Amino acid sequence: MIHWAPTWLVYAWNRLRYRLRRDRYADELAEEIAFHLDRKRQDSPTPPGAVDPVRRQMGNITAAREQCRDLWSFMIIERLVQDLRHAARAYGKTPGFTAVCVVSIALGIGGATALFSLANALLLRPLPYHEPDRLVRITGIYPRAGVAFFAEHARSLETAAISSGSEFNLTGQGAAIRLFGSYASPNFLTVLGVSPALGRSFAPGEESPSRDRIVLISHALWKTHFAGDPAAIGRVIRLDGVDRQIVGVLPAGFAYPSAKVQLWIPCRLNPAVFVEYWGAEFMPLVGRLAPAASLGAAQAEAHTLARAFEGRFPYPMPRDYYAAVTAVPLREDILGDVRGRLIVLLCSVAAVLLIACANVAGLLLSRAATRRKELALRAALGAGRRRIVRQLLTESVGLASAGAILGVLLGVATLSIFKSVLPASQPGLEAASIDWQVVAAVSALALAAGLLAGLAPALSAAQVDLVDAFKTGGQRATSGFWTRLRGAMIAGQIALTLILLICAGLLLATVYRLSTVDPGFDSTRVLTVPISPNPSSCQLPAACIASYNRLLDHVRGLEGVVEASVANSVPLDGAAPTLPLEVEGHPTTPDFPTPMLWLAAVSPSYPRMMRIPLVAGRYLSESDGPNSAPVVLIPESTARRFWPNETALGKHFRVAGSSVWRTVVGVVGDVRHYRLAQALPSGVAGAIYMPYAQSDAGEGRIPAAMTLVVRTSAPARDLAGAIERLARDQDPNVPVGRVQALDALVSSSISDLRATMLVFVSFAAAAVALAAVGVYGLMSYWVSQRTYEIGLRVAIGCTRGGVVAMILAQGLRLTACGVAAGLLGALFTTRYLAALLFGVGATDLVTFAAVTALVAAVGLAAAAIPAWRAARIDPIRALRAE
Amino acid sequence: MGTDKPPAELLPGTLDLLILRTLLVGPMHGYGIAARLKLVSEDVLQVGESSLYPALQRLLLKGWVRAEWGASENKRRARYYELTAAGKRQLAAEREEFARIVAAIWKVLDMA
Repeated sequence: MIHWAPTWLVYAWNRLRYRLRRDRYADELAEEIAFHLDRKRQDSPTPPGAVDPVRRQMGNITAAREQCRDLWSFMIIERLVQDLRHAARAYGKTPGFTAVCVVSIALGIGGATALFSLANALLLRPLPYHEPDRLVRITGIYPRAGVAFFAEHARSLETAAISSGSEFNLTGQGAAIRLFGSYASPNFLTVLGVSPALGRSFAPGEESPSRDRIVLISHALWKTHFAGDPAAIGRVIRLDGVDRQIVGVLPAGFAYPSAKVQLWIPCRLNPAVFVEYWGAEFMPLVGRLAPAASLGAAQAEAHTLARAFEGRFPYPMPRDYYAAVTAVPLREDILGDVRGRLIVLLCSVAAVLLIACANVAGLLLSRAATRRKELALRAALGAGRRRIVRQLLTESVGLASAGAILGVLLGVATLSIFKSVLPASQPGLEAASIDWQVVAAVSALALAAGLLAGLAPALSAAQVDLVDAFKTGGQRATSGFWTRLRGAMIAGQIALTLILLICAGLLLATVYRLSTVDPGFDSTRVLTVPISPNPSSCQLPAACIASYNRLLDHVRGLEGVVEASVANSVPLDGAAPTLPLEVEGHPTTPDFPTPMLWLAAVSPSYPRMMRIPLVAGRYLSESDGPNSAPVVLIPESTARRFWPNETALGKHFRVAGSSVWRTVVGVVGDVRHYRLAQALPSGVAGAIYMPYAQSDAGEGRIPAAMTLVVRTSAPARDLAGAIERLARDQDPNVPVGRVQALDALVSSSISDLRATMLVFVSFAAAAVALAAVGVYGLMSYWVSQRTYEIGLRVAIGCTRGGVVAMILAQGLRLTACGVAAGLLGALFTTRYLAALLFGVGATDLVTFAAVTALVAAVGLAAAAIPAWRAARIDPIRALRAE
Repeated sequence: MGTDKPPAELLPGTLDLLILRTLLVGPMHGYGIAARLKLVSEDVLQVGESSLYPALQRLLLKGWVRAEWGASENKRRARYYELTAAGKRQLAAEREEFARIVAAIWKVLDMA
């Protein structure tokens, strides 16, 4: 024995020792007490026949034994283990119930895990820039002149322009490839507060025309194309035919303005090049607040400067173009339209989690009701109220923990679905993953859900009145409050389910409408290949035209090719080529600025090949060459817009800034150029087709990058390889993109919408299943509570039909309450979806009606089984059981 | 039993002290301790088994007494408790503390 050790240590050590040999000590104690009693009897003998006074005097020996036993044990842990063991045994007896509970919670937790991860990456994690709270975006977009103007005049902000990006050809490094790059002010890294991982940043003054032949590259591009070689710094690469020296590599993960951007080029400011300085590309501005400046001051200044700049345009701008300019925190700007979808996702997940919780609570409640007798027995044997509540809470938390483990696994799958719903270039999305923080949050959530789901039943069970419970056979003794609470929970669950289903229904209708929408062209058996020579290679249009004609001749010679043509973009490929055009008879004023039209510069055979119907006049022909009279085709809607009451044939357009009028020779059918849901981008007034040889994409230049479009006679995929080879052989310095079927292009244009729909449909399906279980559970509970009453009714002459009707009516009442609340909620919720919808209103009557009918049917079906069971109650047995 | 008054309630916390003091005489079994307490206190202090045995277990756990099975006066097996060195130190400390408290209580009771 260790005599010198501190008492507490000896105590702890001994407890552990005693715990291990507890049973032996218990026996020894019993022997000791027996000895004690015998000695006592010897010392004071009792007259025969009398009650043994020793026994009576002895006090509560059982209590003494229990007390000793407690001393030898670790009660908190042992009780927990005992509770858990008991819970496991109870769950093993009801596998169906257990499975439903665990799956319910797993669904809720899975959704929550995925959403937490997403929200963590997009909303909570600070932007990876220095003092991100001081960064703002100045709304609106500005020509380069505006960039210079803001840089010169802004006092409360340091501003920088970063264009959203465009494609560049990288040549002279093996096969030519297409890269995505942004134009940026030289100070953009200073403003964002990021330093390059390697090399240097742009220096002030590098926006001047003689010094801008430099480029910064992304970490990913450095790794993939320069093998992560530090010697890449200083290398000269050829981008769109311009030699630029690599001066730096940005840190890994830098993704501004989007994760797509691979290189950054100084945004040259040269007032001498009029079109580049005032027109060409309009760019967004970001800014860093000056040390003492507030956001409010920056907003006011941005507004004032934009209005001042508006007056400087050398050509008429739309009235009030910059009227609403302000500054918004950069984080808000980056989230942009993703926020709407995040809110929608958040709501649906929260709904499912709530439903799951309500469900489990409901199931536990009805279980507690059937276990009333058992609980009463335990209470009678001396279990305290707290002990019973703890037992029930242990059960529900155990259940929730099992659900949480399954849920985290489910969450990994759900997160990948969520990621597919959001645009891949969203900064920060890549980093979204399920990390320990999320797992910790989920564990907390599971605990909370378990406690929450267990609390109501536990409290209701703790209310059990012993005598009452035994007397009535334990079926009718809970207070109405818990039953009413449960009814309310189920009604709320039906309401949430209805909202989710309506959202899913609206999206489903949208996707269906989009799949049946006529795109205006025939996409079957059409292959597309983007070919993108440097813009500079088309400085002599004739060379470019000849080169494409040569390619077309070769392709037309291939076996299985019906027709081939080139177009500056094909419908739904994501590009948006627009051009300002003056319209004959429509003078431009600030109230009627030069309309922007969608430019389709195409081979003359293109409209016919795409099977775009001819409405009036003629198609283009091969004779519409570079030297013949310039002609154009316009779609019906454009014709109607500019000449609503007369024929468009013979009317004229001219490219803004040019003097050549082009004659409309034909009107063709409308084509969904931009999206299936939206024929043209907002702000684009119409479309115009020009023969490629006569085309002008601005400043008199013909477009260089074209897409080869080929209609084949058979669905021959092997043609793809031959076409790609032909295109590559034309010029090894010209990047050739992937061959894609036009069908695939059309269907992938709505892939993210389809994914969003899928999310909703799966959540809604889960919600419907959960709601059905919830209603079923409640009605079964209700029936089991009223067995006696129903038996009595049947005994005094109520028909089976009457019983069924009574139960169904109860179920219907519940469903009706839920549906009413749900419809109200849906009217408020669906407006967040409005931007995604097509062909259906946010309050589409058919969808609302169909979903209501579906939910009502599910509610009825779920109530039908308990009703049927109630109808089979044997009155004799029900009455005798009491 | 000998007195008119019922057995006195023990002051809380004093049972351990009394057991330790009783064992100072020598090893003793549970019944012996109870009998001796009753005898020495002239029937004022009667310790019930329901508090005696848990108290003994507590003292065992704290290492202040140790227990060994031995043969009793009538040849039956009995568990004998014996004070350890730590127990003796504890007894001394508790005794002092008890005296201090009793003195304090008397001072309060005797005040003018």
